[in-house]
Amino acid sequence: MARLELRPRLQHPAAWWLWGLGLATAASRTTNPVLLLLVVGVCVVVVAERHDPATVNPLPAFLVIGAVIVVFRIVMTALLGNGFVGQTVVVTLPSVPLPDWAASVRIGGTVTLESLLYAAYDALRLAAVLACLGAANALASPRRLLRYLPATLYDVGTAVVVGLTFAPQLLTDARDVRAARTLRGRDGRGVREMARLTVPVLETAFERSLGLAASMESRGYGRSVRSTTTSRRAATGLALAGLVGVLAGLYGLLDSSAGGVLGLPVLVLGALLAGSSLVVGASRDPRSGHRRDRWTWTATTTVLAGAVPAAVLVIASAGGWPGVVPSQQAQLPEVPLLAVLAVLVSATPAWFTPRPREVAP
Amino acid sequence: MMTGRRVIPLRWPAAVAVGVVGIVGLVAFTWPFFVTADVARDHGNDAPWLFAVLLGLLAVVCLAEVTAGRLDAKTIAVLGVAAAAGGGLRLLSAGTAGLEPMFFVVIVAGRVLGPGVGFVSGALAVTTGALLTGGVGPWLPFQMICAGGIGLGAGLLPVRAGSRVERWALAAYALVTGLVFGLFMNLWFWPFLGTGAPTGMGFVPGAPLQDNLAHYGLFYLATSLGWDLPRGVLNAVLVLVAGPALLRVFRRGARRAAFGVPVVFAPAPGRDAAPHREPAEPHDEPPVVPLHDAEHPR
Amino acid sequence: MITFEHVSVQYADAPAPSLHDVTLEIPEGELVLVVGPTGSGKSTLLRTINGLVPHFSGGTLTGRVAVDGLDTAEHRPRDLATVVGLVEQNPSSTFVTDVVEDEVAYGMETMGLDSTTIRRRVEETLDLFGLTPLRARSLRTLSGGQQQRVAIAALFAAGPRVLVLDEPTSALDPVAAEEVLASLHRIVHDLGVTVVLAEHRLERVVHHADRVVLVEEGRVSELLDPAEAMLRSHIYPPVVGLSRLVGWSPTPLSIRDARRKASSLREALGASAPRPVADLRVIGPADAVDLTGVRVSRGGRVVLDGVDLTVARGSVTTLMGRNGAGKSTLLGAVAAQHRLSGGRVRVGAAGIDPHGRSARERVRTVGLVPQQPELLLYAESVAAECAAADDDFGAPSGTARALLERISGGVDPSVHPRDLSEGQRLELALAVILAGSPEVLLLDEPTRGLDYGAKKRLGEVLTGLAAQGTTVLLATHDVELAAEVADRVVILADGEIVTDGPAREVLASSPAFAPQVTKVLLPQTWLTVAEVAGALARIA
Repeated sequence: MARLELRPRLQHPAAWWLWGLGLATAASRTTNPVLLLLVVGVCVVVVAERHDPATVNPLPAFLVIGAVIVVFRIVMTALLGNGFVGQTVVVTLPSVPLPDWAASVRIGGTVTLESLLYAAYDALRLAAVLACLGAANALASPRRLLRYLPATLYDVGTAVVVGLTFAPQLLTDARDVRAARTLRGRDGRGVREMARLTVPVLETAFERSLGLAASMESRGYGRSVRSTTTSRRAATGLALAGLVGVLAGLYGLLDSSAGGVLGLPVLVLGALLAGSSLVVGASRDPRSGHRRDRWTWTATTTVLAGAVPAAVLVIASAGGWPGVVPSQQAQLPEVPLLAVLAVLVSATPAWFTPRPREVAP
Repeated sequence: MMTGRRVIPLRWPAAVAVGVVGIVGLVAFTWPFFVTADVARDHGNDAPWLFAVLLGLLAVVCLAEVTAGRLDAKTIAVLGVAAAAGGGLRLLSAGTAGLEPMFFVVIVAGRVLGPGVGFVSGALAVTTGALLTGGVGPWLPFQMICAGGIGLGAGLLPVRAGSRVERWALAAYALVTGLVFGLFMNLWFWPFLGTGAPTGMGFVPGAPLQDNLAHYGLFYLATSLGWDLPRGVLNAVLVLVAGPALLRVFRRGARRAAFGVPVVFAPAPGRDAAPHREPAEPHDEPPVVPLHDAEHPR
Repeated sequence: MITFEHVSVQYADAPAPSLHDVTLEIPEGELVLVVGPTGSGKSTLLRTINGLVPHFSGGTLTGRVAVDGLDTAEHRPRDLATVVGLVEQNPSSTFVTDVVEDEVAYGMETMGLDSTTIRRRVEETLDLFGLTPLRARSLRTLSGGQQQRVAIAALFAAGPRVLVLDEPTSALDPVAAEEVLASLHRIVHDLGVTVVLAEHRLERVVHHADRVVLVEEGRVSELLDPAEAMLRSHIYPPVVGLSRLVGWSPTPLSIRDARRKASSLREALGASAPRPVADLRVIGPADAVDLTGVRVSRGGRVVLDGVDLTVARGSVTTLMGRNGAGKSTLLGAVAAQHRLSGGRVRVGAAGIDPHGRSARERVRTVGLVPQQPELLLYAESVAAECAAADDDFGAPSGTARALLERISGGVDPSVHPRDLSEGQRLELALAVILAGSPEVLLLDEPTRGLDYGAKKRLGEVLTGLAAQGTTVLLATHDVELAAEVADRVVILADGEIVTDGPAREVLASSPAFAPQVTKVLLPQTWLTVAEVAGALARIA
């Protein structure tokens, strides 16, 4: 019997994030409720099958937020209407008269099925995108991605890691300080009391941070990041050139009179230049690293499984396939079969990827 | 105050980078008001995503420029505390619909440790909060830029440290930034709503600036002010009540970290060599590997 | 291996140097113990070894420190990481990652070692420190002793030839401390690593040391033989105290050596029965604390299970037991810090239910000094803290300040509470709580990080309070303190009371909780050096 002491073998986090982004792209291209619900369903199934039980699962929170968005949008549409005028009147609410300066706004009045459906579909699209992001968060904790930051961001990444380690301790301290406050006869309620609590909590955090800094320093922190004056100057130059390129590209893109054709290429070039400054600025010894995640065939296949629905739906929306943007009729919208199949493909990683192993608590 | 307003000095390339990213950020938020109808119709759906990717990249480049070679273990640890405090508050307030007391910490950090640290700790506090709650998404770059800007601005406020005015100025700053943050964050998805927005509050491509501004104003009043006002007020009240104490805690923390305290090695008395003084921010060329701060000016 | 040549250290804003003209040569492969009271410059001495002083702390270092031939003036701490490892006092604050294995690998990753080397050394180190079963555990779920072992392992993995440890066992219970010391013993004896160690709890470490260095007010002795050093030192463990009293030579450092010499002392004492040094206290009726069937669950786990306990007015009772046995929770239940899931608590002569009262009313009857006294402290100076305490408890102004004067030997009122030594911080927290003049005083693990001087003062304060009728209930690992002050000892295990009786009876009969003097003189049941001294004086 194997002891429960081994590290779980997890799939490369980037694979899950690329998969999630692919699915999110697919969802953002359609307002068909059947397809969108299918996307949400895929997220739920994959997370249920491959979520690492040792970590918190953020997907339910994302689903709740999505549901709230849908309800909120429907209620707002019923009360305030939207730019979509329909024929099928569901109910007529009492109308509130408004002063002249707000004449373009209406409150109450007739509520049509079409405008409600429009709002619901649109909100559902946002909810589905949220579900994809929630699934990515749940399948590969983004803090695992911090290991893959370029060397230029190594320091910043470490600060985030430190922050992530400190934050739960801070909350524990806050609870303890609040309990200690009652030992001095205070109940710890009210803004002033809350403000009082922050002082010992932060004092403790600073003391801890100094201990940590000393320990990092004496453990050789920062020895393996190599950068020279030349490389740093080159990085600064690239970054500034890239930023200027991005600005110029944006201007070209948004102001069509200034030659919109050149806008996008310049923008992309600028972004590439700026991005390359991250790589040029410093380098780390590439051999160093303990137990990096390995990129396996399942990782590649997972990314592909996410890319399939993205590709199909981008083509579908560009080609104007029926049912991708459904009409707001009181009937089930037409469902493009190929799109359904493509979304279903993205559910396959739930079975062929490695299952995270249980870890002893 | 002996402590480092220069814990992370903003050199000119970094300042330019922050400036440019600020402009791109401003464009990312306000473009619907300036573009022609065609552009808006063609890109209304893609623009928020494009800007999310673009700003994500630029925010990271900007962070790299501001911090390049300037973070030692102490600065990282202090930034870690600020990020943890911000992120932790975010975790606490996750249930309270955007009542983010996080800005309060960012403002204090920027105030005490200078605009450079303010920017970085703002961006990192948002990131930490997102990583803690598993809330990484396209909104993150926008929030990073906004929170970073708030910290940067707090560091640049022209008030004398420790004066009576400081407290009120910071409270006012917290109130205003709380409101402005909401004003901008909503702009990110407002054009995206298109015809989905409530009647008379939607984005009309190509309409005159004042029309769209008026629509947006109404939209903001109807949907967002209810959250942003309490947030601004909460942050302002927190600054008023806890600000002075917290400023002192941060200043004490910075003092104890001994930023900028000189490091001196002297030979034992009786020998003749002159004392060997080191710059506070290290150091000399180490023999083992070339280091990223090796070329620091003496 | 480590050379100090005329080293003095002065911090930037300090009025006086922290180290004076230290010249010392520590040879390879020795375990050197640094002995000195709080604030004597021990930590500064340790931190000069890898250059944290002055590279990290700022300040001026005169003279020269070299490790393995490398001068700290020319090498920063990070460059010395492969030569010197420094373990800080509180391991949990030095962790960068959150999993045991990652933490052990972290140092080597930052140094840029290649991944196969890292992998091999991680496995070797995990085995060496017995951490393999814990490798995938989150660091926050480990016990204090396990955390300390991980901290040492994480430094050791990078392969330094010198390990420097600042009070590695001060905050640990005896069992955990033994685990840590066994690991250290192993790397010194099997692998020839040089270890420099500072520790307050000499009774735990002095018999492991090859050499001892005494530090007092920034002045450092040469390398001494441990037995000789213990004759000169101002602070020493009880077994050395006994030896000094009787005049044994050479000074025994372990219980075993002392027992070999103790037969004549046992004979001399044979006739007289042990008697407490202090006069017997007036102990009142058993109504100060009354627990009936108390059950407490925390995080879904039953921590206290049906505890019945009554404590007499004006007595001192010590709660002992392993970490996690429920000692702190019991105190928390009495002070209404934890909700009861069953049973009842009555406190004070009036039989008040602390759970049914507001915090303001409760503090008049029961006061608790928590494990981390700094959690109680908010103000920016000792004086302001005392004033705030008077205000909190509605006491006449100056009460807390007067109490502090009485408890401590003078604390500068303008100092920030966080800058006090641990002993002074505890005294301040105690003064704050006593400003409410509670009938029952609870202390949770008060001797953490206290040196012998501070511990002795605490013992006197508690004895004095009990003499005035305050009931004292304290949870501690410190058997010597228990031997000093307790009337009664209650031992908890797994949330239940397993032993309850007069201090002498319980302490003398328990192998784990017997004080050093008792262990030396068994089967006689003497608890402290002072008792033996009193008996010898009577015989003479």
